[in-house]
Amino acid sequence: MENRKLDEIDITILRTLQKDIRTSFKEIANQCNISTDTIKNRYNKLIENEVIRGSTIVVDPKKMGQGNLVIIGIKVEQKFSDSVLNMIKKMKGLCVVTKSIGQYDIEAIFLLEDIEQIGITKDKIEDFPQVKSADVGIFVDKPLLCPKNFEFE
Amino acid sequence: MKLDNIDITILEMLKKDARISFREIARKIDVSPDTISNRFERLKEQGIIVSSTVIINPKKIGYSFIARFGVDVKPAYSSQVLEEIIKIPSVIVASKLVGKYDLISIIVVKNFQHLCELREYILEMPYVEKVETSTWINTMELCPYYFLI
Repeated sequence: MENRKLDEIDITILRTLQKDIRTSFKEIANQCNISTDTIKNRYNKLIENEVIRGSTIVVDPKKMGQGNLVIIGIKVEQKFSDSVLNMIKKMKGLCVVTKSIGQYDIEAIFLLEDIEQIGITKDKIEDFPQVKSADVGIFVDKPLLCPKNFEFE
Repeated sequence: MKLDNIDITILEMLKKDARISFREIARKIDVSPDTISNRFERLKEQGIIVSSTVIINPKKIGYSFIARFGVDVKPAYSSQVLEEIIKIPSVIVASKLVGKYDLISIIVVKNFQHLCELREYILEMPYVEKVETSTWINTMELCPYYFLI
């Protein structure tokens, strides 16, 4: 499907739901001054067109005892990035893993309990035979989420 | 504070679908919807649930990839620079870092020109000494609960 332009109503729906996914369609409808059914249809369209992929809650990992967000930059032997990627995908605490163009071949973000876990995770990655090196960076404080969190066109 | 099974079920179910009704969660663990509602409010009050949000596919709204920026700044100015970076509209997350860089930022990018513009923009901020970028490939298929990428 080609990218469809979003109109005012779509953007209002997305912006409102970005702030609080549990906002009722009725409330959004009042805000836009149109019917609840229109909002419902638009919402379903946005899902159908894959603009909306799902919904989730944001939890504070520190409060749940998983305080450390860590990024690991990994250099691997050429041609092995897929197999290393697949192994990392199975690891505990993983938030994101991706191939990368730049200083590293793979970058992964983990949410880990403590410094010991960070060490174990780094060792585990370096134990993969095709991994050349793994650099660790630890996020300090609470990472900030952009209040605007990307603009819509 | 200790979370019990009810709290954990609420968190797990809402992580997967934040619009699910309290009634449905209640049915799953055989308690009343009011209990779920009370627990939900408590989890919010305690700051365990920070917010709820929609997961958007950036590829469908004109963005094509994610870039990770590593920024080095003059010592003692990292907070100041971080405050500026977080205001850039396509930033997903930014943080101070202990490691190779002083600051890290993950940004959704429209195209290579946009990437260059962002890099220059950050480079021109006062006290910024070095900006390194790396481009993430095929990240958007992964859906981390924390970052909402």
